[in-house]
Amino acid sequence: MVELVLGGRTEAFEPLVTPYRRLLLTLAYRLCRNVEEAKEISQETLLRAFRYLGSFDRKRSFKNWLLQIEMNVWRSLGARAADEGTLRELAVENTAEDPEEKLAGNEVRERLLACLDGLSPREREVFLLRDIEGRNIKETAGVLRTSEISVRVHLSRARAKIRELVKERFPGLMEGQR
Amino acid sequence: MNCSGARKWIPLYAGADLSVRKNRRLEKHLEKCASCGREIEELRAALDGVRAVASRESIDWPEAEWRGLMARVKSKRPEARPVSPFGAIPRKAWAYGLAIVLVVGIAALILRSIFRPAAAPLLSEIMTATPAQPSRALKIDNAPSMNNPRDVPFRVQRYQAERLDLATLAAGPAPEKATQNLMSLTLVSQETGLKVHWTFNRNFEWKEKKP
Repeated sequence: MVELVLGGRTEAFEPLVTPYRRLLLTLAYRLCRNVEEAKEISQETLLRAFRYLGSFDRKRSFKNWLLQIEMNVWRSLGARAADEGTLRELAVENTAEDPEEKLAGNEVRERLLACLDGLSPREREVFLLRDIEGRNIKETAGVLRTSEISVRVHLSRARAKIRELVKERFPGLMEGQR
Repeated sequence: MNCSGARKWIPLYAGADLSVRKNRRLEKHLEKCASCGREIEELRAALDGVRAVASRESIDWPEAEWRGLMARVKSKRPEARPVSPFGAIPRKAWAYGLAIVLVVGIAALILRSIFRPAAAPLLSEIMTATPAQPSRALKIDNAPSMNNPRDVPFRVQRYQAERLDLATLAAGPAPEKATQNLMSLTLVSQETGLKVHWTFNRNFEWKEKKP
């Protein structure tokens, strides 16, 4: 399908990326915690994927390649704002006004966001890719363009923090899993 | 292993991300430490809880927005594939190729030093032992310096070693190994006709004879 797109049949791009549309948007949302920002990140990811499709290595996983682009976009567009806490404020505002978000289930989302809030941007990236998206350590390192050792270090810290946060704020969440 | 050491590894152990060696060491500790075991259970429960929440939470593009985005994407053109004469060859292939060239080169150098052909034997070593008497039958080879007789007052008669050898071999008994013990050189003066005959032995010690 990649060859078709590169051969000029651009309509083949849609079936190529449709299986990942939810994944990209949800991951972007978990990273930046704002629907509009997530759409922007996801959109930029798809545009870049289309633009640089020629440089995609066919031996690699297309999904991991898309995730890698999204992480780069998130770092260039959203990470700084998220660190400053502005997106979090925007998310709360938008949630109150946006009917789509209400439908998605604010309570569930807020609980997850509250857990992710306590992590640093790098810990959040590693935790989301490894524990939520199910990438293994090697794939996570490849997507984030870092070493496996670095992934292990951040993952270890992230899990320890998550345990403390859940235990402290949402003990019911742990009870439900035992 | 004590508990503080074990706690560093517990977060990775809970998600099965610990190396085999560390895994084994931690499991040995867990066999006798209930407190660390509880900590692992708690951590696993917390992770499962977050995963369960995440699995229920998923957002998707509104269909109209998705179509608009796809239309926007399709209106653009993907960038041309980078064309490089070496681009088609993966990096690993380059690395392997370079390694093979290096190994072959080093092996060639080692083999060359081991199997270097022995230095060509000296003429004196391959010729039979014989007094090198000047002979008229042998071909006289004029040295280039003899072209101008004014410069050099004598002429060198150089006897070709091979012919000398053959002639001597034909005359005398065939030795088992061809060696030359003596070599002779005759100098003839152009002006006076004086001949000087030098005979060199195997050690290059010479004797002069004036006929």
